[in-house]
Amino acid sequence: MSIYLTEEQELIGKNAQGFAKENLDPIVVELDHTGNYPADVVKKMAEQDFMGLFLPAEFGGAEAGYVSFVEVIENLSRSCPAAASIVVNHSLAVYAIQRWGTAAQKKEYLPSLASGKTLGAFAIFENGPTPGVGPDALMAVKKAEGWVLNGTKTYVRNAGKADVYVVLACSDPAAGAKALTAFIVSSKAAGLTVGEPKETMGLKGCPVADLNFENVMLAETAVLGAVTEGPELVAETLAVAAIAEAAQTVGIGQAAVEHAAAYSKSRVQFGRPIATLQAIQTLLAETATDCHMARLGIRYAAELLDNGEPFQVEAAMVKQFLARLHSKMLLDTVQVEGGFGYSEFMPLPRLFRDIAGTTLLDAPADFPDKTIAAALLA
Amino acid sequence: MPKLLACYKWTLNEQDIKINPADLSLDSSRAKGKISDFDRNAIEEASLIVEKQGGTVDALSYGTPAVKQSLKDALSRGPNKVYWVGDASAENADAFVTANVLAAAIRKIGSYDFIFCGEGSTDMFYQQTGPRLAQLLGLPCISYVEKLEIEGDVLKATRKLGDCLEQVNVKAPAVVSVLSEINKPRIPTLKQVLGAAKKPNEEIKVSDLGLTPAQLSPKAVRKGARGFVMNRKNVIYKESDASANVAKLAASLAAEGLR
Amino acid sequence: MPGIIVFSEDGALAQQLLTPALELKKTLAQPVAAITIDENTAKTLATLGADSVVLLKAEKATPEALAPEIADFCARESAAVVLIGGTQRGKHVAAQIAAKLQAGLTTDAKTLAVAGNTLQCTRILYAGLAICEEELQLPAVATIPARTFLAPAASGSAASIETLEVKPDTRITVDSSTPIGTSGVDITAAHKLVSVGRGFRKKEDLKLAEELAAALDAEISCTRGIAEDEHWLPLERYIGISGQIVKPDLYLATGLSGQVQHMVGCRESKVIVAINNDERAPIFEAADYGIVGDLYQVLPLLTAALKN
Repeated sequence: MSIYLTEEQELIGKNAQGFAKENLDPIVVELDHTGNYPADVVKKMAEQDFMGLFLPAEFGGAEAGYVSFVEVIENLSRSCPAAASIVVNHSLAVYAIQRWGTAAQKKEYLPSLASGKTLGAFAIFENGPTPGVGPDALMAVKKAEGWVLNGTKTYVRNAGKADVYVVLACSDPAAGAKALTAFIVSSKAAGLTVGEPKETMGLKGCPVADLNFENVMLAETAVLGAVTEGPELVAETLAVAAIAEAAQTVGIGQAAVEHAAAYSKSRVQFGRPIATLQAIQTLLAETATDCHMARLGIRYAAELLDNGEPFQVEAAMVKQFLARLHSKMLLDTVQVEGGFGYSEFMPLPRLFRDIAGTTLLDAPADFPDKTIAAALLA
Repeated sequence: MPKLLACYKWTLNEQDIKINPADLSLDSSRAKGKISDFDRNAIEEASLIVEKQGGTVDALSYGTPAVKQSLKDALSRGPNKVYWVGDASAENADAFVTANVLAAAIRKIGSYDFIFCGEGSTDMFYQQTGPRLAQLLGLPCISYVEKLEIEGDVLKATRKLGDCLEQVNVKAPAVVSVLSEINKPRIPTLKQVLGAAKKPNEEIKVSDLGLTPAQLSPKAVRKGARGFVMNRKNVIYKESDASANVAKLAASLAAEGLR
Repeated sequence: MPGIIVFSEDGALAQQLLTPALELKKTLAQPVAAITIDENTAKTLATLGADSVVLLKAEKATPEALAPEIADFCARESAAVVLIGGTQRGKHVAAQIAAKLQAGLTTDAKTLAVAGNTLQCTRILYAGLAICEEELQLPAVATIPARTFLAPAASGSAASIETLEVKPDTRITVDSSTPIGTSGVDITAAHKLVSVGRGFRKKEDLKLAEELAAALDAEISCTRGIAEDEHWLPLERYIGISGQIVKPDLYLATGLSGQVQHMVGCRESKVIVAINNDERAPIFEAADYGIVGDLYQVLPLLTAALKN
């Protein structure tokens, strides 16, 4: 592994930063207020090749690799984490289809996902304790014609705007979460409805809603991977999510610490800038260091992915690291800015709400520790 | 189908340069490189023309050996090939040297219909390279261009000369220097960045240019640079009562003889 | 054989250039020739201390027509120093003269002096962040922005005026020339300016600044955004590194934050005053006096106080 980015990766990161400044900075405050899906911006991100970033060229992807992916996600998140969330969640569907799809499935879905013509989403969570358990659980029953799905997936990001859903359903009630099967479902499938958009604490603009399945009929060709491969697919895809969301978290943290640092230089109290005070310097230094260390861990995990090596433990580590630190980063930077930091006309309150979303979701809280411990204790 | 050349400079990002408060010296140790802003406009304009009506665009740059870091950036913005002269002489080069090197390089590479430059570089902003280059190559030069079109072998331009806008025409070959308002450079896509690695770049050594040592020695030598710092009185009235502040300011203005 | 040559197509600027030229004459002990393109300016230059004056007669005073003629003149006269007015035409002409003479050229020189066989200049670098000193071997060329110097006093004698015909450069054809619309006001000549920025919420609110300007006998100027993006004021009123550079006695900045690109245009004003409701705005570091407050409240109060 190289600690340094290649020339291309650096350029890609720099361009993503320029893109974010030009296209995301002007809309981020309004997006947070309205939560209206930024279709124009998603189109522009597709034009930059962000939607098929790591896909092979044969499917219209940029083949830029996962290190470039996290560079782009971090830089987008420094300006607008919600926009980055749209790309991340779309990318999870893209990843799953690319990784477990048949040649026919890849040919059918990947090119239009890569070009941004269609938007993807990944639906895993349910109201019950684990997928496959509880009255709402999404159950898949095998019939002669194919599969029939009934149940509800909750908190599906990109729901309502997505065209292609990768959905995990339980194919054996006796086995519960151990018998998950992945399916590729079109948004137009009969019996599939999207619930009311949910208003979330942060990341507003990235749609979130439930997916309701009522006797949705799917052909055998809709199964993604082997019927019994669901749990593996979930674990690996959520590990990719962990890396991507960690990049979002670091982007938010970096934006926060840079804002707080600039603020501390100009805010004068008792005759000098507060930046000269030790207490302020400590808060800034710790946040900057947390971001820097996390960034290297994220880059390492992404490089393992690029090299086709096992990466799930390292992905769990960055998630765990940031889960411990993300609220500290934002609490500290708000502290630096004092009353201004607490005011809604400043960016920190929004970043605070966004960072809660990027670190906590998409996996049970104990998932990273379990994964890491399992590797240590094996 | 015009044959175009865009010249660019790899500069330090002036926003990364810090001033040492102790002695006002400049610290550029953390400054990253970039293609000078107005040169990006020049490259973009040439690329837009070629996309619209065919033709080719090459890029050319003279800089220190660090100019190698600019090649993929330049190629990702449209040019088919980039020529580069990476030499220590660029460290202290002024516009006299730069124009000599660029002119010699162009004579070596071959002829172009039109050569595009930016109005000036973001670091030094000499605003000389385009007209100097044209003079050395014996070509006409249109400067301060805010809009242009190429029809056959004629370039039609709108130049902004301070007090008037002139519509001018010039037949190939010619040199054009462009203003930042001529276009808004697009951000290269990922595919364009990754495609840059497949495009050719060619190094031209200074020793192959047939220049004399005098031609490579700057005529304008930088003797020293220091940060510009404002030394103002900084008497700021900030009481909660606006009238009180206003009264004090009015008094200050009177004391300065300004009311 | 004049060793010091000044040129500007802009009459006022040509006169201003005589001041540094005459100063350099003291050290170089060489005569000064002043070149311009209109007759009235030529006559004035002849009375301001130039040793000789050249009137260039051109059908169209394009940079491409002027450059070779002036370059040839400088070469013929073995000029030591050539000072050119820093307009766009001037900068183009200066670069081509420098190329022909194989000389160095300092753009936008703020100060000039001769030392031994060199011309010492200072100029700004890095978009206004720094100032640098440049040393040029003679012969040397420099462009000087308008109003860097004041025109000299009349010398009491009148120099000869020579007329030279300028041939056009047939390689470039000029189809049309449209004056850039001006409102007739030259804010660079104003002694006092009230400058407005994005702190004003709508165009109608500029009235507050106009009333203050009236009370101060000042002109109105603005930041780039107000002119280029909002179009609330014409382009020739915007101050900044790519706009107008001004040096009034008073620059009163209202509702503008004071970014570097703007401040480069006004930081040599004699007195800078700032009114802004954000006490952390950079303008306050650049100001002699200021009020932290809401301009909507402060401006009417200040206008009233000044009227008394």
